[in-house]
Amino acid sequence: MSMDSAALRHAVACGAHRGRVEFMNSVRAGQDIAYYVIVSLIFLVVLFLNRNNMVEGTDVSVATFMLPGLLALQVVFAGAFGIATVLATEREDGTLLRLKSVPYGVVGYVAGQLVRVCLEIAFSMLIVLVPAAFFVPNLMSDGPLAALGAVGYLILGLLAVLPLGFIVGSVFKNPRSVGGWGMLVMGAIVWVSGIFVPLATMAWWVQVLGQLTPTYWLGLGLRSTLLPESAVVVEIDGSWRTLLTITVLVIWAIAGALLAPVLLRRMARRESGSSVAARREKALQRV
Amino acid sequence: MSSYTLEQTTAVQVSDLRMRYGTNDVLHGVNFTISRGEVLVLLGPNGAGKTTTIEILEGFRMPSAGEVKVLGVNPATADERWRSRIGVVLQSWRDHGRWRVWELLEHLGSFYAPYAEPGRPRPYPTEELIETVGLTEHRNKKVSMLSGGQRRRLDVAIGIVGRPELLFLDEPTAGFDPAARRDFHDLVHRLSDLQDTTILLTTHDLDEAEKLADRILILNGGRIVADGSAEELAHQVAGIAEVRWTQDGLRQVHATADPTGFVRELFAQERAAGAAAGPITDLEVQHPSLESTYLTMVAQQEVSE
Repeated sequence: MSMDSAALRHAVACGAHRGRVEFMNSVRAGQDIAYYVIVSLIFLVVLFLNRNNMVEGTDVSVATFMLPGLLALQVVFAGAFGIATVLATEREDGTLLRLKSVPYGVVGYVAGQLVRVCLEIAFSMLIVLVPAAFFVPNLMSDGPLAALGAVGYLILGLLAVLPLGFIVGSVFKNPRSVGGWGMLVMGAIVWVSGIFVPLATMAWWVQVLGQLTPTYWLGLGLRSTLLPESAVVVEIDGSWRTLLTITVLVIWAIAGALLAPVLLRRMARRESGSSVAARREKALQRV
Repeated sequence: MSSYTLEQTTAVQVSDLRMRYGTNDVLHGVNFTISRGEVLVLLGPNGAGKTTTIEILEGFRMPSAGEVKVLGVNPATADERWRSRIGVVLQSWRDHGRWRVWELLEHLGSFYAPYAEPGRPRPYPTEELIETVGLTEHRNKKVSMLSGGQRRRLDVAIGIVGRPELLFLDEPTAGFDPAARRDFHDLVHRLSDLQDTTILLTTHDLDEAEKLADRILILNGGRIVADGSAEELAHQVAGIAEVRWTQDGLRQVHATADPTGFVRELFAQERAAGAAAGPITDLEVQHPSLESTYLTMVAQQEVSE
């Protein structure tokens, strides 16, 4: 028994190493770097153009209002959409099967994904935050303690959305359907979760939909720590609703943590040489 | 304890294995065993059930019915310790394309470290393994930059990185050039002789089967139609050898089940004829090849169906 748990811990360590290698491979690959840079540039341009606009009825810059929402979006994008796409792709190309053929390889694979996605999120936030600090006003006006609170929300938010990524990635059969439907869903989520415009100013049904997404709550939590107190007036109910925010994110995290391992195990069980070969045939026909 | 002693001599035991997809029966009650240290080659036409059989033994597929024991354990419910004793050579496609050769071998090997045993250090040292499969000059290359044959050698290396007691190879030499094929055959012999690895491999190359196999199984239409060494199989189809020779400028051919007896008779006749007939030259005895044996067996099966 102790031998087994030692082997399990060892596999998690191998997986953590895997995550670091995958992240470094991604940073070294021109294609991925171009993607990070372009997305960050778009964010920075939107922030820069809005630095002097004020959110109606407040003394808070629109850029300052948007930044926490953009961070929330990065978490959801990398944590849910990113994981789902990678998982679907790596099932198709045989990566997962390869790991399944080594002892506790699937455990290592999942650990690797977690480490990779954390590094990726940290990296993509850094390349937005550092330049933004020069022109976005009133950021972190509440000092380092608030920053710590923001990190706490980011971790909670990641825990809430990661299982979603694993669930979607294990349910969909191939990366192209994740890409197509996923982008559509991500677009809708961005629109309804009050990142660019306060949700309180939108139609009632958009508010309902928005409050069903973890993105909205993560954005709200981040705004509560990063924005000056005066910005609270544009939120729904004129309140940060801290307790509710934490409750909703924790519920998302628990629900996902219960469901994701079941679906992952089911998916991993079905992987075999011939199922990978069959998907390869299909993919090659499409290319 | 009796199952333990059985496990020491038997690597794989399959009885009445059945597999059905929907209403389509792929395996109809397959029975065979593989002894420890044996190299077993599984032959059969496409769709015969070879890959399904191998995937069941690898624990990647649940059989519909039957009993399967691999290293003494049912693969469907086996744990990760069992997994560490099995090697699977998969066909890479695009996986791990961004990883360097040495990096990937070291990473996949690292999972085996907790399973090292006296006399079987795990994993195989990366550099030694790279040399064994002949990838030394490509060790720093990205996997996506390897040629088809180099990739296949990497697949083999990944399959043996955990120093498996039992190795599964599904069409390992598809796409190899003749030199790569010979290197691979040497590697299989080394694994089997020096490391005492039991090997189950499938191939379409009958020459390869004849070179590597201690024993050959022919699977056709979901049934085992033959089981034995290449020579035994040849005898089973009542192998007819061909004797060819030249006499008085004429090329002669004779088919016989007893070539030795026939040749003895032939020379006796030559002596008896004395100067009346010319000397016999260019004598050849050709035994039935595995290829003709195989084709005969598969054809017989099709007729009987």
